[in-house]
Order: sequence, then structure tokens, then C-alpha cells
Amino acid sequence: MRSAEMTAEPAEARQLSFSFLRPSRSAAIGTVAVIAFLVLWQIAPGMGWVNGRFTSRPTEVFLAAIDVFKNDNFLFHARISLTEFFAGFILAIVVSIPLGVLLGTSKIARYLIDPPLMALYIAPTLVLLPIMVIWLGIDMAPKIAVVFLGAVFPIVLNTMAGMSEADPRFLRMARSFGASKFDIFTRVLVPGSLPALLTGLRLAVGRAVLGVIVGELFVSQAGIGYQLNLYGSAMRIDRLLVYALIVSAFGYTLTVLVRSVENKVRDWRSK
Amino acid sequence: MIAELFYRRQALVLGTLSMIGIVVFWQIAVDTGFINPFFISTPSQVAAEFITQFEDGSVATNVAATLYCFAWSLGLATVVGIILGMLAGWFADVESALEPFIWFKYSAPTVAFYPLFVAWLGYGTPTIIAIAFLFALTPIYANTLSGIKNTDRDLARAARSFGARPLDIFLRVALPGSVPVMIAGLRLGVGRALTGVVVAELFGANAGLGYAITYYGQLMQTTKMMVSIVIVIVLGVVLTQILSFLETKTDSWRVDSSR
Repeated sequence: MRSAEMTAEPAEARQLSFSFLRPSRSAAIGTVAVIAFLVLWQIAPGMGWVNGRFTSRPTEVFLAAIDVFKNDNFLFHARISLTEFFAGFILAIVVSIPLGVLLGTSKIARYLIDPPLMALYIAPTLVLLPIMVIWLGIDMAPKIAVVFLGAVFPIVLNTMAGMSEADPRFLRMARSFGASKFDIFTRVLVPGSLPALLTGLRLAVGRAVLGVIVGELFVSQAGIGYQLNLYGSAMRIDRLLVYALIVSAFGYTLTVLVRSVENKVRDWRSK
Repeated sequence: MIAELFYRRQALVLGTLSMIGIVVFWQIAVDTGFINPFFISTPSQVAAEFITQFEDGSVATNVAATLYCFAWSLGLATVVGIILGMLAGWFADVESALEPFIWFKYSAPTVAFYPLFVAWLGYGTPTIIAIAFLFALTPIYANTLSGIKNTDRDLARAARSFGARPLDIFLRVALPGSVPVMIAGLRLGVGRALTGVVVAELFGANAGLGYAITYYGQLMQTTKMMVSIVIVIVLGVVLTQILSFLETKTDSWRVDSSR
């Protein structure tokens, strides 16, 4: 009954329960769930429910984390993966924002380029990885290319959408007050499309992180993905999980960062 | 309506032209010696190779293997995602309990756990299905959740005034109202499941499009590789288009109070 109430209650009551009860309650439940999961994970191998060789334990993972940071050449591998990530991502930004602007402001360009763009956005660009390896070798270059391909399409498509969906009332008003095309572009279109652009960046972060890892798992001589593959084939589940968690934390932090900028821009725009 | 149709046609004509343009450009760039065919092959060679692979049955084998894993993973993700999404959308406590895990799942590149799945399930089909399942799960869950949560309050209240029980409201108001959002989640899930299957096949499989791409890639046979790459891209577009079509079909069910 209570939950039915929740969906059917008027807005004020919902907000009231939101500000007083919900955050603490939901945070508590979330924490309990995570702790329960960790405890279960810790005791399951001891109780013989699962084979500890395959699942490791939270305590083992914690010790392995300390070990990895101290003497596993962690910074060396992290630097390689980070270089690949940022090289590909910055390249994607440099290419995709101008392209997105062009497509957003010109209808003909949009009609011409949209279908191949859409096809590559929908299709898994990671299938191009093996051909990138043929073209660029097995060093950093193919990973940078895959990161680029993963990141470029979300940014282009979102910039384009932001540009072409500018509020026509603003455009008309700016024009009636004698704004030039350049003015309209810098004062109306750019601020108007900023939130969409940031959404594109946020989506691109996930695809780019995926690109680095898949690229390094596929073929590499160093990097986080290389280490993942190494410890996976050596059945060192504890160390494997440490690296997987580091990648997750990296992706999470970056996503949260972009999202907070996104929210700030949205707030600033609505003022 | 007619204007919209024309608008669509114009996009279609120009889009088709640009696709043909890319293929022609590709062919000419190689024919004139601008690009070495070893790197990129040519459309005519790829077409010829496609026919060869089609006739010896390897296209059918690979597509069947990929679609088999795809269907299993998407099916599992749909069932699990919709059930979890409905529970979380209806009971706020379930949502709170699941949230940390979903956030983790959302930000972690699933493929990082690929070696773990190999250790648990072995090389091949089960691992591929597990990876693709995790790829597809998030959007289906998230959309079902938001669909149920954003049930039209006026409709729910009206139903309650006429004596509907919570179960009635769930089955007659919340569930039908969230079908369009669920289908949208499914459309996102289709693309992600396909990515998951193909990526997992790149690493280890006995058949499938991803397997063929890696196999011919290691032999440096670009033409044979291109056949599978093109098939994957076409498959992605076709499957997503089917779901988009379903989405427009169910759009009329939408009971959005903001409209």
C-alpha cells in the first residue's frame, strides 16, 4: 500500500518525504546492501558454497591492492593506458565539435553525413579493432584509434542535436534585434547547445574507457588491459579484480565529473 | 503528415546518395593507387568475397552463431532487467538496495571482467552470453525503472478513487504506461548486446562474426575480414531499426501527462 501511495501522492507530499526521509533511508539501505554483499562474498568460499579460487575474497582483494600499488609497476601501466585514453579522447573532441557544429547548422550537410554517422554510432565500432591493428601495429596507435572511434560519434551527434534544436523563439528575437549570423552563433547557438555537448562527452567517456580496455585486452605489451589479461590467464583473481576496480573507479569519477559540470550548465542556463 | 513524409524522403535520398558516394570513393581511391588495397580491400572484392563466403555457408554459420548468443543474452537481459526494473520502480527500498550495484555496473567497463568470466565459465558461448547480458542489462533496467516510477499520478489517483487496489494500479496503469519507455530501453539494449557478443567473440570463440574478424585479421586477409565487419554494421542498423519501428508502434500507448 505504501508504495502505491508513493507513486500516487501529490507533488508536495513527495517532496516532503524526499527532503526528510528518503535520502538517509535510501543511503542506509544502499550501504546495508553493499555490506551484505561484501560479507557474503567473504564467507561464501569458507562455507564451501563457491570455490575461493574463482571468486577470491574482499580481504584478499584489499591486500592485493596494496601489493599492486607497491610493487607491480602500477604507475607505468597506468600511464600507458591514460596516454591512450587522453590522446584518443582529445583527438575525438578536436574533430567532433567542429563537425557537430557544421552538421548542426547546415541541413544539407546533415542529410548527407547523418546516415553513415548513425550507422557507425549504432554499430559496434570495436569491430574495427582488428583492422586498426593491421593498419597501425600493436603499440598505442590502434588503441588511440579505437578510443577516438568510440568517443567521436556520441559527441558529434549530441553537438549536432544541440545546435539544430535551438529554440526558434530565441533565434527570431535575436534576429529582430539585428543580431548578425556570427552573433547568433556565439550568443544563442553555442550556449544553447552546451548541455547537449556535455551529454555527448559523458556518453563518450564510457565508450572511450571501454575502447582502451578492449584494445589492450586484444593485443598489447603493456597497460591496464595487458595486466588484466595477464592475471586473468594466471588465475590471480584478486589482482584481476584490483585492476578491474581501478578501471571502474576511473570511469565512474570521470562520468560523475562531467555530469556535475552538465548540471551546473543546465542550472546556469535556466536562470 | 505529408510534409513529414517529404522531409523523411529527402533525408532518405540524400542519405542513400552519400552511402553510394562513400562506396564509390572507396573503390576509386584504391583503383587509382591512392591507398594500398592490402589495408582496406575494395568494395568489389568484398562483394565477391561475400558471395564466396555466402555460397560455402560460412556467412550463415557465423551469423547464426552470433545471433544465437545475441538472442540468449538479449532475452536474459530483457527478463532480468524488466523484473528488477519493475521491482525497483514499484518499491523504493529495492531501488535503494540495487542502486550502488547498478552504478558500479554502469561505470565499470564490463569487458574488464572478461578474464574472470573465462575463469568461471570457460572459453566460448557461455562467456560470450554473460558479457553481452551485462552489456544489455543496464539500459533495459534503467528504462523500466523510470517508466514505472513516472506513472501518471492523475491516472493512478483516478483509478484509486474508483476502488483500484495497488495491484490493479500496477497492472492496469503503471505497466501499460511504461511499455514505450521499456521498448526504448530495449532498443538501446539491442545495440549494446550486439557490441557485447561481437567484442567477446573477438577474444575467444569457435564461430561467429567477431571470431571471423579476429581470425582473418590474424591472417592479415583484409577482404575476408571486411565481409564480417560490414555484416556486423548492417546487423546493428537493421536490429536497431526494427526496435525503433516497434517504439513508434507503441508510442500511442504513452500516457504522458506532460503532453
